[in-house]
Amino acid sequence: MARTVNLVAGAVLVGLVVLVALVSFAWTPHDPLLVDASLRLSGPTAEYVLGTDRFGRDVASQLMVGARTTLYVGVVAVGIAALAGTPLGIVAGMRGGWLDELIMRVNDLVLAFPALLLAIMLGAVYGASTLTAMVAIGVATVPSFARVARAGTLQVMSTEYVLAARAGGRSRAWIAGRHVLPNISGLVLVQSSVSFAIAVLAEAALSFLGFGTAPPTPSWGRMLQESQELLAVEPRLALIPGAAIALAVLGFNLLGDGLRDRFDPRLEVRR
Amino acid sequence: MRARWLAAAIAMILTVPACSAGSTASVGGGAADESTLAVGFTAEPQNFDFTTTDGAAIPQALLYNVYEGLVKLDGRGEIVPLLAESWTVSPDRTSYDFRLRTGVRFSNGAPFTAEDVKFSIERVKTDWTISLKSAMDVVERVEVVDPARVRVVLSRPSNSWLFSMTGRVGAMFSRSGVADLANEPIGTGPYEVASRRRGDSIVLTENPGYWGRRPDYRTVVLKYYDDATALNNALLSNGIDVISQITAPDSVPQFEADTRFHVVQGTTNGEVVLAYNNDRPALRDARVRRALTLAIDRRALLEATWAGRGTLIGSMVPPTDPWYEDLSGYYPHDPERARALLAEAGVRELNLRLRVPNLPYAVSAAQVVASDLSRIGVRVTIQPLDFPAVWLQQVFTDHDYDLSIVSHVEARDITTFGDPDYYWGYDSARVRRLLERADVGTREQQLADMRAVARTLTADAAANWLFLAPNIVVARTEVTGFVRNQVSESFDLTGLRRAEG
Repeated sequence: MARTVNLVAGAVLVGLVVLVALVSFAWTPHDPLLVDASLRLSGPTAEYVLGTDRFGRDVASQLMVGARTTLYVGVVAVGIAALAGTPLGIVAGMRGGWLDELIMRVNDLVLAFPALLLAIMLGAVYGASTLTAMVAIGVATVPSFARVARAGTLQVMSTEYVLAARAGGRSRAWIAGRHVLPNISGLVLVQSSVSFAIAVLAEAALSFLGFGTAPPTPSWGRMLQESQELLAVEPRLALIPGAAIALAVLGFNLLGDGLRDRFDPRLEVRR
Repeated sequence: MRARWLAAAIAMILTVPACSAGSTASVGGGAADESTLAVGFTAEPQNFDFTTTDGAAIPQALLYNVYEGLVKLDGRGEIVPLLAESWTVSPDRTSYDFRLRTGVRFSNGAPFTAEDVKFSIERVKTDWTISLKSAMDVVERVEVVDPARVRVVLSRPSNSWLFSMTGRVGAMFSRSGVADLANEPIGTGPYEVASRRRGDSIVLTENPGYWGRRPDYRTVVLKYYDDATALNNALLSNGIDVISQITAPDSVPQFEADTRFHVVQGTTNGEVVLAYNNDRPALRDARVRRALTLAIDRRALLEATWAGRGTLIGSMVPPTDPWYEDLSGYYPHDPERARALLAEAGVRELNLRLRVPNLPYAVSAAQVVASDLSRIGVRVTIQPLDFPAVWLQQVFTDHDYDLSIVSHVEARDITTFGDPDYYWGYDSARVRRLLERADVGTREQQLADMRAVARTLTADAAANWLFLAPNIVVARTEVTGFVRNQVSESFDLTGLRRAEG
């Protein structure tokens, strides 16, 4: 019962973010980038439902377009991490020996390096942009995928059907594609959802620090950053993007929990 | 002139708040003792030696307070006597005779004499390493006439020399007090450095042998905070008595509404400039630059980025400079005319990179600029660059930019337009000639020439002077006597008074 609640609540929150982002392509209440000093710091009105920021831009429109940035970062960062991390984990798990050692120790090295620091370094060298943030977050998330994939692979490799396939002379690649990947895909999906939440948070943090999405592209993290000076005067400007980030992260985490409950074989026994 | 970029850059970084959270722990409360004053700053000196360390933080703390020069700059931008009682200038304007104040002693007990003046000025050439030392290049020799009279002979007339003597290069050092400048500054000022806690505070105490008026505040604690919010909170919670400079202007109304505080607002030397790379093919045509200037609503930009607190200027001259002329109305906001000018210049499509330092004021202004320019069909891509390292290298040194925004805080930095290698990419023989003539000319000629320079720059739209950053000091009501306009290199504590009540 509780499992379904997690899954549904997560799916609803994530669905909401996706929906808002999709709608923003077709329609926003106002141009999110249009500066109008005469409307500066206006509170919520019928026309500007969430009010305006210090530049007189519509907060609601910015929030909508910001959802795009959030999803974009999440998808690309998780994509990089999953596409690189999963094969590495499978290879490590299947081959074992020195190759396993090598992959996993390099993995540990990357894991020990803080993701934000990597992103700030990349940002300083190649200029702060959504792309550098995404790449940095993606690279820093590779190890968690590799570990999950390796653990799952080891489990699958000890099953009887894999032993049978090996005895039958099937190639490693065939086994990986036919048996390992389908069996660990649930784990990878769960990891993706959790990593997505981490990526969303990291992008917000980076943009907050000025190393993420470049202005004027709306981003929740940057909205938060721009409201920093106005915290005492206009707390609304920090609360709105803050709440959006919190809800999106919560959504992806709940979704991840719900998915794990469904897919994680280790939880199978309890069901 | 080119060598001065580092000074300018460091001064720039020091005048803006770092955007990190958190506050520094504070030493004893400001209001604890009536004769103690605590002043909050955001940029901390790394040491006390401004002869070898660049940056605005050291002179801000020490100049006029610990070190004094022969002359000082008051809040109206006038040069007034300090350690010199008076001075005369020879008819050919190359020889300055200073009559020194007598009975002045350094805080180490040594008397201040003409020998110290000679020592201090000559030492700039021999021992200083900061780029500002070039201000003394024009000095040919210093002659001690008698212990209270000194003559400085210049190799050519120079109007900027006496002005530079009001800054740190004019500070007077004791011949027996330069052994450890980084830790033990010794000057003739009303205060001496009592102690410092790195990362937290510097304590100045009254110099008992001071020649002038005894300061109301016997002890002044200079406290350093990481960011504007921490500074505001420190004042609100009685951690400090004064905020030396407000950098988050939207917070000012909360202090104005509070009877415990008063707000002093004036001007600075900090011109926030939208730089046009005049050397770029797309921006070489003055009509294009004029169009960009006409398209930007500077009044609205000031409103959006600095809550309207600041001064609109139309050229590289703050109102405190003697040759100031109000040129702020030269390019009224007129997108229609801007579009017509672009068409006239044959520009169909214009894509520009606005490469700004990743500092809050620059990133804010950049968004307004991009929005305004989009309305006349100019596409602007904003690229925030890590400041100082990346911005200095790519924009300032390599000139790899179309547009940029930065605050130019050096005094009388209009002269940078006379340097064709400066990052403006601006090369005008007329401006160069006028600047040279102004420095050697009589006062009348200087004023006329400098006005002509400012007008030429404006007419050429050599850059877009968005606004002049305001000087906003917030203090407890009983603390008075602040210098309204921050035009000197010092945060001048000497005039501060405690109102009775």
